[in-house]
Amino acid sequence: MSAPDGQTLEDALIEPAGAGTGAGIAVTEPSVDTGLTPAVPLPRGDGLDAHVRRTLLQQERAIGVKYAGHNVRTWPYAVIAIGCFAAWISFFPLAIMGILPLWLGCALTSVFVAGGYVVAHEAMHSNLGRPGTPQRFWNELTGQISTIPLILPFSMVKTMHLLHHQHTNHPENDPDAIHAAPNLFMAMVKSWINRQPGAIGTGARWRRHCAELGTPEAKRAVVETMLLQLAAMTFFFAMAWSGYAIEVAMLWWLPRHLGLTYIHAVLSWATHHPHDKTARYENTRVIRHPLGEVLSFGIDYHLIHHLYPHIPFHATGAAYREMKPLLEARGVDCSAH
Amino acid sequence: MQVALRKFFAIMPFLFGIGFIAPLIAQSMAALHVAPPWGLSHVSFGLLIGAPWGLYATWRGRWL
Repeated sequence: MSAPDGQTLEDALIEPAGAGTGAGIAVTEPSVDTGLTPAVPLPRGDGLDAHVRRTLLQQERAIGVKYAGHNVRTWPYAVIAIGCFAAWISFFPLAIMGILPLWLGCALTSVFVAGGYVVAHEAMHSNLGRPGTPQRFWNELTGQISTIPLILPFSMVKTMHLLHHQHTNHPENDPDAIHAAPNLFMAMVKSWINRQPGAIGTGARWRRHCAELGTPEAKRAVVETMLLQLAAMTFFFAMAWSGYAIEVAMLWWLPRHLGLTYIHAVLSWATHHPHDKTARYENTRVIRHPLGEVLSFGIDYHLIHHLYPHIPFHATGAAYREMKPLLEARGVDCSAH
Repeated sequence: MQVALRKFFAIMPFLFGIGFIAPLIAQSMAALHVAPPWGLSHVSFGLLIGAPWGLYATWRGRWL
């Protein structure tokens, strides 16, 4: 896949076209002394000059590299993913034997589904092992197993997520723009509507995106999605007609829907609302989510993730605190944290 | 292969209604000790709900 201006997708994620132009960003006085002195003093309301922008970007990048996946500890993601996947598999026999209460299995699996997406998300950005490194196997394994409870293959969610980064908030080209809604309640309703099997659903939109991409990876993602869904439905039907429909409903079907609602409303909608800006420093924001940093998986610093996707989510808070003066110098609203 | 799978997935909501919703309704009623109406068995009643519901979802492209 390549960006419209000829950048590779990886390049575009690290340094999107137009980055540093400051387009549409009103200048504000830095609230903290960044040590930067504009080449030409600028009155409030003017844009930053090219020199200041370049210097800010260099400082930003240095922080981005400091907290990048290859410079911070990421092996716990793989351990957690494998542990949770094994636990989830064990829930079925444990529930059938009456050892695990179904309500507990349902609650834990719902957490695994949502958390699994977060862990897989790190693998999507190769934060657990870059290509060509010994850790690459664990990166791919973590991604593959973490999205199975969602009944979505890693290849598909990765393709759609990288497309989201490439076209953030674009109404037609961003796969996640389908989650746009006026408020949280409607975001949850929209999440349900998007799961419908017909033309209004995410499935139809993702097929369109894959067809437009036309890459071997996109074609493979479509085939893998069909095969995984076929395998999952075979499991559902076989278990249900064997007398375990309630167990499958409580350990897979319902947690999947609860997890997807969380992923759409908390991880996608809240951070990009109102989905109307596409510029590098404006297409997402720094928020203070009512669920708190832990229960929202550090989504408060989603801006940092979009600026530097190679920073794992557990390090975005620290990266943000170092980057905050630079972001404020660009006029980014950092009032939430 | 891919074309065959696509056609198969086009009727997946109907299959889901028969394959999963029907037995889920039947087993839920049995677990809750709810007797099906008209002297039907739990499975028959489950199919009576699940199959048309799945057919509706296949036809309309939405479950509700």
